[in-house]
Amino acid sequence: MDIGSLKKESDLSFDIAVAKRNALEKANSRLVVVYKEHIFRADAQTINLVKNLEQEHAVPFYILDTNNNPVEISDPKEFLHVLIQRNQEAMRSYHQMSKTFAKRND
Amino acid sequence: MTKGILLFCFDTPDTKYHKVLERCVELCNRNLRLEITVVTDIHTYKRLKPLGFINYKLIEPELGNTKNRKEWRNVDRHMAYELSPYDTTLVMDIDYFPFTDNLRQFLDTDYDFLISKQAYDLTNRNSFDHRRWSMIDMVWATVLVFRKGAKAKRIFDMVKYVKKYYPYFNELYRIYGKNFRNDYAFAIALEQANGFIHYDTLPIRLPTLPPDCEIVKFTDRGVAWKYGENINYTEDQDVHVLNKELMHV
Repeated sequence: MDIGSLKKESDLSFDIAVAKRNALEKANSRLVVVYKEHIFRADAQTINLVKNLEQEHAVPFYILDTNNNPVEISDPKEFLHVLIQRNQEAMRSYHQMSKTFAKRND
Repeated sequence: MTKGILLFCFDTPDTKYHKVLERCVELCNRNLRLEITVVTDIHTYKRLKPLGFINYKLIEPELGNTKNRKEWRNVDRHMAYELSPYDTTLVMDIDYFPFTDNLRQFLDTDYDFLISKQAYDLTNRNSFDHRRWSMIDMVWATVLVFRKGAKAKRIFDMVKYVKKYYPYFNELYRIYGKNFRNDYAFAIALEQANGFIHYDTLPIRLPTLPPDCEIVKFTDRGVAWKYGENINYTEDQDVHVLNKELMHV
């Protein structure tokens, strides 16, 4: 491979890497959700925590929001629904973007 | 309980900020769907095209601040508490373009004051991770949310105090830049008003394009930018554009 082609490949890889990183940041921003006047991140950790507490603990139970303030959760099913909806919305969008990156790399 | 957006916009001899405002308002209407109040002066107001149902508050901006040796009319942000007609207010820089409804939900929290501490460099150069050019963490007054009440009033009163004695606080906190910046004024006020300990923040990093990024395309859904030989774009993601030449795109 000549140096011109190598530079072109390298530039393309860089552009794709930056676009992918930005898409992940976009997804992370979208994961932030407000529920019952508190702010949460609808990530795997929160979803698993709420799911576990729902199964293993009586309601209400208490968790921390993004600023470490305690929040009483009295309807875990509703909360879990909100978290999963938001999580999957963000991940679906990131997945679609990832497909376009794969095409650009071909 | 009323909710709305408060925007500050003042044209300067060098920059037609009203052009930037027109784009920002359009996106606020489309994505945030909240009532908007624009704080401006009569000269800027006269240049604005009709923007639909918008409230205007006309004031005489305080002059004297500069950025890169150009006039910078940014020192009136401390009056947001008094100027806002809403119980809960989202204050935004007009160069922060809401391509999503992400910010809207922060008006539904029980927090009295929220502000972001982090910016995210969309060009992957981490330009904003090395900006600890002071003894305190900077906050980004680009986006802040407050609910009227004793706590928010105390914070804004503190911002006024910091602004009044800014050269002193600037030296005290060993801030590199000597011009007045809302980011530092709010950072100092929050630290003082909260007893020098942790305060609540927005858990988002503000996606930002550094000043050397030229905006080459601006659509309803996003922006494309160029710096050096690189061209990239983002869609459905809020963007803070620091290069004010975007009004020509």
